[in-house]
Amino acid sequence: MTLELTQYLESIKHDARLENAVETDVMSELEAHIEDKVHELTESGLSEKEALETCLGEMGGTRLVARQIYEAYSQGSWKLALLTSLPHLLFGLLFVLNWWQYPGWLSLVLLLTLATTVYAWWHGKPTWAFSWLGYTLLPVLAVGLILPYLPRVWSFLALLIYFPTALWWLFHIIVQTNKRDWLFSSLMLLPLPVIIGWFLAISSSGRFTEYSLQLLDYFAPWIGLSFIVLALTIAAFIRLRQRWLRVGLLATSGLLTVTLIVHYTIGRLNTFTFFGLILVMWGVLLVPALLEHYLKSGRKITLRRRHTADSTAQ
Amino acid sequence: MVPRRDLVKGSSNSLLLSLIEQQPMYGYQIVKELAARSQGYFRFKEGTLYPALHRLEKSGLITGRWQILPNGRQRRYYYITSKGQAKLALEKSQWHDFLTAVKLILQPGPSSS
Repeated sequence: MTLELTQYLESIKHDARLENAVETDVMSELEAHIEDKVHELTESGLSEKEALETCLGEMGGTRLVARQIYEAYSQGSWKLALLTSLPHLLFGLLFVLNWWQYPGWLSLVLLLTLATTVYAWWHGKPTWAFSWLGYTLLPVLAVGLILPYLPRVWSFLALLIYFPTALWWLFHIIVQTNKRDWLFSSLMLLPLPVIIGWFLAISSSGRFTEYSLQLLDYFAPWIGLSFIVLALTIAAFIRLRQRWLRVGLLATSGLLTVTLIVHYTIGRLNTFTFFGLILVMWGVLLVPALLEHYLKSGRKITLRRRHTADSTAQ
Repeated sequence: MVPRRDLVKGSSNSLLLSLIEQQPMYGYQIVKELAARSQGYFRFKEGTLYPALHRLEKSGLITGRWQILPNGRQRRYYYITSKGQAKLALEKSQWHDFLTAVKLILQPGPSSS
């Protein structure tokens, strides 16, 4: 296979962002079409190079083909929409019904989330897995919250170990998720600004006191509502076909939930914190995209080097 | 005036179902058949045929099966399903009504005056 053809197919494969189960079939079909056409064109008198150029020109640009393939497969069923938005609904109900006060319910929801994520991660990372994955980062956040309560020396040592490890783990998960689609990383991190926002509103000093619990109880319906907004966002995300609409939806939902938090916690969060949360929201949305752009450039260089090495060996 | 591209887009499902109903076909064969039978009217970027076929397959109107040729190469042939046949019959009837109505306006008979 020539470098031009490899790059053409790789580009479509990357931008179409299909699940492994269908990717092989779709790519084999395109490859078979190109082979047939090139064969026919060379038999009509064109050189191998001319035939390939003509063929790829008539196939259409990689972005156009990949976008249409993406849209043919991107829409999930209502069942998938429910499964994907379920963790947000569970966390929403936990607060709306005030179940967060019962360690039994809290542990049950956390255990269910963890078990579902582990199951999905080892079964090919289906689309619905990523919204669950976001909540498994909660225990990591919880460990970070416990650190200030340790004796001073231990707290300092733990911070030194905790931050690099937590950041490395988060980076690793984002890279793994980005291999499927950077939008899934954004989906995974979507609850982050909401959780940070509510945490700051309840405990601005970073410590949980009796007063924090009273505030948590007071804000519980609004906390629940913000998670239900996330659930509705995810359900709409799964049902949408167009990628640009999905990006717009995540951005709008992020803005809406952050505004909702600031609105219902009047006086608890200042303008500076509001803009900080907006920054976190844009970070959640754009960092995975920038990371993918960086990784994609690296992949292109590797592909070119491998092809040059193959050509030299022949 | 309706752009030609929109006309092709609006009729693509009926055209694909109609071709596949006559005989099971693979992608490249469909492209050639469409161009030949329409005398070059239906030309489009060939890579965009597959998303259209896959959408029909996801809707259960056609089904694709890989077949190995004697030379070892593989091709994915598409077959129309019973749901696809019912849908095509409905679309054919709608096209027939539409064409009759257009014809009555474009080529008015003596009774129209």
